[in-house]
Amino acid sequence: MMDKKTRDILITNFFAVVLGLILSGIMILFLKKNPFSVFGILFSSMFRDGYTIGEIFVKATPLIFTALAFAFTFKANLFNIGAQGQFYIGSITAVSVSLLIPSALAIPVAIVLSFLAGGLWGGFIGVSKAKFKANEFLISMMSTYVALNLMNYLLRTILMESKGEYPQTESLAKSTWLFKIVPHTRLHFGFILAILAAVTVWLILYRTTFGFRIRAVGQNQEAARMSGVNPEIIYIISFIISGGLAGLAGVTEVNGVQHMLLQGFNPSIGALGIGIAILANGNPIGIIFASILFGALHVGGTIMGQLSGVPSSIINLMEGFVMVFVIISYFVRRKWEMTRDKKLLMEGNV
Amino acid sequence: MSTPFFELKNISKYFAKVIANKDVSLSVDRGEVLALLGENGAGKSTCMKILYGLYQADEGEIFKEGERISIRTPRDAMRYKISMIQQHFSLVSAHTVTENIILGNVKGKINWKEAENTIQQLAHRYGFNVDVRKKIQDLSVGEQQKVEILKSLYLDANLLIMDEPTAVLTPQEIDNLMEFVENYSRKGNAVIFITHKLKEVMHVANRIIVMRSGRIHGNVLKEATNEMELSRMMIEHSIEELDKGEDKREAGEVCLSVQGLTVVPRNEFPLLHDVDFDIHKGEIFGIAGVSGNGQQELCMTLCGAMKPTSGSILLNNEDITHLSIRKRITLGIGYVPSDRHRYGMVMDMNLSENMFLKASYSKEWNKNGIINRKKLAETTSRMLHKYDVKAPGPYALARELSGGNQQKVIVGREVEFCGDFIIFDQPTRGLDLGAINNVHSAILKEKKNNKAIMLVSTELSEIFALCDRVAVFYKGKIQGIFRTSELDSQKIGLLMAGYTHQEVV
Amino acid sequence: MLINLFSRAVLMSTPLLLGSLSEVFSERTGVMVTAIEGIFLMGAWAGFTAAYITGSLAMGLLYAALSGLLVAMLYAYIVVTLKQHQIVTGTAINILILGLCSFLQRVVFGVPQSPLTVEPLQKIAIPLLSKIPFIGPIFFQQNILTYSIYVLVPLGYFILYKTSLGLVIRSTGENPEAVDVSGISVSRVRFVTVSISGIICGIAGAFYSIGYLGMFTTNMIGGRGWIAFAICFLGNWNPIGAFVGTLIFGLAEAFAILMQANASTILPNELFISLPYILTIVLTISRKSFNVPSKLGVAYYEEH
Repeated sequence: MMDKKTRDILITNFFAVVLGLILSGIMILFLKKNPFSVFGILFSSMFRDGYTIGEIFVKATPLIFTALAFAFTFKANLFNIGAQGQFYIGSITAVSVSLLIPSALAIPVAIVLSFLAGGLWGGFIGVSKAKFKANEFLISMMSTYVALNLMNYLLRTILMESKGEYPQTESLAKSTWLFKIVPHTRLHFGFILAILAAVTVWLILYRTTFGFRIRAVGQNQEAARMSGVNPEIIYIISFIISGGLAGLAGVTEVNGVQHMLLQGFNPSIGALGIGIAILANGNPIGIIFASILFGALHVGGTIMGQLSGVPSSIINLMEGFVMVFVIISYFVRRKWEMTRDKKLLMEGNV
Repeated sequence: MSTPFFELKNISKYFAKVIANKDVSLSVDRGEVLALLGENGAGKSTCMKILYGLYQADEGEIFKEGERISIRTPRDAMRYKISMIQQHFSLVSAHTVTENIILGNVKGKINWKEAENTIQQLAHRYGFNVDVRKKIQDLSVGEQQKVEILKSLYLDANLLIMDEPTAVLTPQEIDNLMEFVENYSRKGNAVIFITHKLKEVMHVANRIIVMRSGRIHGNVLKEATNEMELSRMMIEHSIEELDKGEDKREAGEVCLSVQGLTVVPRNEFPLLHDVDFDIHKGEIFGIAGVSGNGQQELCMTLCGAMKPTSGSILLNNEDITHLSIRKRITLGIGYVPSDRHRYGMVMDMNLSENMFLKASYSKEWNKNGIINRKKLAETTSRMLHKYDVKAPGPYALARELSGGNQQKVIVGREVEFCGDFIIFDQPTRGLDLGAINNVHSAILKEKKNNKAIMLVSTELSEIFALCDRVAVFYKGKIQGIFRTSELDSQKIGLLMAGYTHQEVV
Repeated sequence: MLINLFSRAVLMSTPLLLGSLSEVFSERTGVMVTAIEGIFLMGAWAGFTAAYITGSLAMGLLYAALSGLLVAMLYAYIVVTLKQHQIVTGTAINILILGLCSFLQRVVFGVPQSPLTVEPLQKIAIPLLSKIPFIGPIFFQQNILTYSIYVLVPLGYFILYKTSLGLVIRSTGENPEAVDVSGISVSRVRFVTVSISGIICGIAGAFYSIGYLGMFTTNMIGGRGWIAFAICFLGNWNPIGAFVGTLIFGLAEAFAILMQANASTILPNELFISLPYILTIVLTISRKSFNVPSKLGVAYYEEH
């Protein structure tokens, strides 16, 4: 059913995750705590009740979007490191729409406009790359900081709550909230949106001509050009879609979870999205599962922090270790394959 | 029986998917010129790279003057005074001749003036006419090769290994190189010459070793053999003689017409200068010349990948000079590129998808943007069968196929999808004789199908075997257009080196 | 007032120049140190922690250098030895270091009642030179890290263009095969260069914690490692270019701090904070020609 390559990837990634957790466990020893009991709490707490399980998917939702954002441009051999900034732009848009249209109508409008806004913010990077051959890695990196400052400024001024105490917006009217799909949890429609987005991205990349062209440009730009494809247009469109996907995370977080916009929320979903995309090898369906995994680590980690006194930064540590091991596993897999083939050849000829 | 200068004993090398060398034993004496002859992929470069320390042998030993030595890196080889000049020069294009030669041979602070003087004197001593302050990217290919040789001489090498050195030279430059090789060996040094060209071997070698499929199949003195015998040792099965077809006087109507085509990048020499020619339907039109004299630019402008500065291109009387690549594909221009890894295929995609590279703009395989994968796979399977491609199926990755089979796929794709005009750019480079034969058959078949064919090649034998007419390129200009029957290799060699039509005929 | 601005500019340029200079060397061998932001952060944390515990700033700098070295060696191992993707690996390491520093901060200090501080590096006036009007106070009343860059820039230029080591470094990024064939290990050149970059970047990161602010927060680097990275690009992989680029950015940053301090501004604070980043974007787009090392970012596979 499953081909050898996918099987290898699943096995090595499983071990990468395990190794990452083991190393984190070792770090816990430095806190003079028992890693086994701490991890015990981590795993048991994740599933302690329906609400917590729901939280896993709540946390996974924006990660799916930012991971898709990175993966989409990655398929074109482009590096969109600016998903965090595109997310901020999407958030600003979502909250602005919801404040202006305090009714259920806000939701579809916010979805469309956040996608467009994130898309424009990302599209700018694509145009720079296409027209000026600028380094998109640098520009996308910098654009996040600009977006962050823009958001902070708006929260302090135009979007600020009427009380004027904190740099944050008013709470959104209940009718603009994304409806819950499982009662007694925070799990909202945004998760469905994320799944739909992942499936759509998969279909686009692997079943449409457009997706084919994106992948061709990503794998061999010159051959693609010789076959009539215009790489510059591909750059622009893939950055627009990528930025748009990250922008959608703004809707899910603002309308689905926070019901307002404030500073410093979800500060690392951009970077984590990159990690998840790597873990899933760029495959949109794999991204869904990897995001749920990271969401679970996050939820468990937070509770673990409350109950056992291990700081929640252990989560970032775990995620970081897992990512590093996943990268190393690429190397291990290739080495395996080569040694295996070479051995076959040598034995078959003596 | 004196001990050989250098000896390889029972060398074997296994790569992930192929046995490159199996039980290879050979030796070379001082003052000897040894030719390592074999088709592409026979394993010649591999065993020499082992001798030079670029590869590690899996089995076997190396000896110098009877003593066992260990060569793990090129550093070790250099210590034993072995030097190797590769097929693709390992020079830094952005650096000068001096910088390239002293790389790895200086320590600490560099006195640039002194270095330049030393190298310039060395160049003079061997009669090499190069300005050592020039950057490699500003030198001709022949001059670049001289720089590679100079580097070996700077290191005082006693054994010089050259991998396909004549691939990029004009016949006259080849003569110069042979003269150098003779002088160098007469001084007591040894030369190992890797090549697949029978003629050169008979010209310059003292002894010839023939390799095939990673093993040694012959070890003879030049005097004791001839080209026929060597050819038999090189290949496994006989190759049928190809029938070129009748040499019709005026074959068909004009399909492609190039007029005054010129490409001049800003402030630089023209890459193409006032190129004029016509290609008729049912004709194979050859483009001869040493690599780098405008052929690539010609192909690129015809495909639409490069904009000409002036001039026009007409396809079936329609002006296509400013059309995009995509439009030209729709109009039926086929292109088999010289660098298939770079321009022809996406190695990590499967064969179906590689077929789709050409077909993606036609309605047949996609409806509203969705790919009809089943139909595509069927068409691909049919094509694989028709062109005798050894592949597991349409979903095999391009990277898994051998070079010859990859080329068959590209040829098949271009031929099946093209209209009236198809360009073959060095279509048999790097292929073994069986695959070469396949490609030649395909080309001749299309000629019978009345297509207009342009064949770019640096192999004169190929030009003479297939083409009806040939244009010789030198520095972006056409030196002359001839019927192949009017030329011989000496005349064409002179044209390739820049002599004009008048001076030669 | 102007003197203050320029003096500040030189000060703020210091870590940027250290970072971009080391990045120039690494990228000339073909390796982008995308873990630079993480290395800066690691250096900032290690420097602060060591200085706080031992009471010695010198110790702080030493540990900053060591920690930078370790992180760089991990990066180099994955990217040069295992030949994995540079951007992906750098991102992973940056996330790891972020978590690691937060975590270690907790391990070592627990949850402190009030913010921990150390006395930052003092300015040392160079006798005679600091008395020169205008130039004196700007260039010669700085801390030792800043003085080090006066030496490092010409030294870097000299090494890169006038020594055999520099020739090897430059050739490795242009055509590693040429270097390999000459008998020099490409992996060794890259590994060592990246490792040394780590040492310098670790110290550069420590500048923010013990050289300037006297405290540590996990977001104190705030993208400055990336700006150093960008300066390498914009300076055309040349020590002199890096120097010029850094001064421009240092000026922008000093200007921003000045503007923020004077509360009566029409323009928002955030605009000034964004200035360096916007500047980077504009320059990245507008720069016409680059001398990118040809094989930058491409792994080299030696067979032997």
